[in-house]
Amino acid sequence: MKEENFSPQASLALIQSMIAKTRQGISDNSGHFLIWGWVTFVACIGQFILKNMLDYEQHYLVWLLVFPASIASFYLGMKQNKKREATTYVGESMRYLWMGMGIGYFVLSMILTRLGWNTTIFPFFILLYGLGTFISGKLLEFKPLVYGGLMAWALAIGSTFFNYDYQMLFGAGAILVSYIIPSYLLKIKVNKKINTL
Amino acid sequence: MNEEEENLSEMESLRLINEMISKAKSSYVTTGAASMVWGALIVLCSLLTWLQIKLNYFFTVDVWLFTLVAVTFQVYFSIRERKRRNFIAHDETITTYVWSAFGICIFLLSFYGSKFGNNGQSINSLFMLLYGIPTFITGGVYKYKPMIVGGIICWILCVISMFTDNPVDMLLMAASGLFAWLIPGIILWRRYQTKRAASV
Repeated sequence: MKEENFSPQASLALIQSMIAKTRQGISDNSGHFLIWGWVTFVACIGQFILKNMLDYEQHYLVWLLVFPASIASFYLGMKQNKKREATTYVGESMRYLWMGMGIGYFVLSMILTRLGWNTTIFPFFILLYGLGTFISGKLLEFKPLVYGGLMAWALAIGSTFFNYDYQMLFGAGAILVSYIIPSYLLKIKVNKKINTL
Repeated sequence: MNEEEENLSEMESLRLINEMISKAKSSYVTTGAASMVWGALIVLCSLLTWLQIKLNYFFTVDVWLFTLVAVTFQVYFSIRERKRRNFIAHDETITTYVWSAFGICIFLLSFYGSKFGNNGQSINSLFMLLYGIPTFITGGVYKYKPMIVGGIICWILCVISMFTDNPVDMLLMAASGLFAWLIPGIILWRRYQTKRAASV
């Protein structure tokens, strides 16, 4: 191997490029963020309309949308695994973060099923939205995700002052600021960078 | 230091990065104490709460306030440790963010509990769910299996707690502290002692 000389600055640049590479990888994989972001957003708004405007008793059925979303996300994941390049250290950490968050959401859904649909559990879901995006934002050094996480936590507190019927709207707002908007911003940022190269 | 001396070859740079990772790993070994203290505290507070319910005798002070004292000490020692060292490894930065976010969530969950009443059925399960997340991530980042397993055990105990009443939940919470932090902390501590003895 040809020995290339690296200054400390170049070494730091190498580490920065690892973060940028992961950022790009996450942007390429933002499909998952967007699938789950939009499905949750639509489900929250849908449940609000069904429950409060149409007085439909089985308003919670709108959450069945998570099943096609899971299939779509699984299919997307399989496709990406096939063309995945070597993972960076940040990428590896992101993988464990979202694996942990995924299991957390699943267990929380089990709690919700056990406690019943009228339990004031939305603040806790919003709390978890904030946890995942705040850490991701810090790892990727991408501020919109950090701010999205902080805003989700503020909305989690805010939602506790309202009853269940209105907490759904807080859920929709939280997913919008912590998943959907930052994912699009990340996509734009990475695309801009690629175009300037 | 002149520019000439600072130049590193590609191989040296990679070695440097590897050293940083292993240095961080050895520093993690020393901080096994923090995991042990935190685990012991959760076990103790849970068992004391269980005892209070069983004996129907309640202390004037909430035992869970001890966790605040532990957090204060932990923050103090980690700041002191950072000042002492001249580098912060990347995985350390990651776990700092993970545990800071966890701290914020625990605070918010306590707020949630106080707002909706400490309904044993749900809030204990939610705490165990939350214990599992940073433990699992930290275990994954450091490739440290006892913590990965500890995180998964927290989630299993969380599911069990949905079917049990408040006193049993406290025993499950004690088990969470034991498997997520106390046992992994003891393993780290023993590893560190063995390593230190070998290097003397």
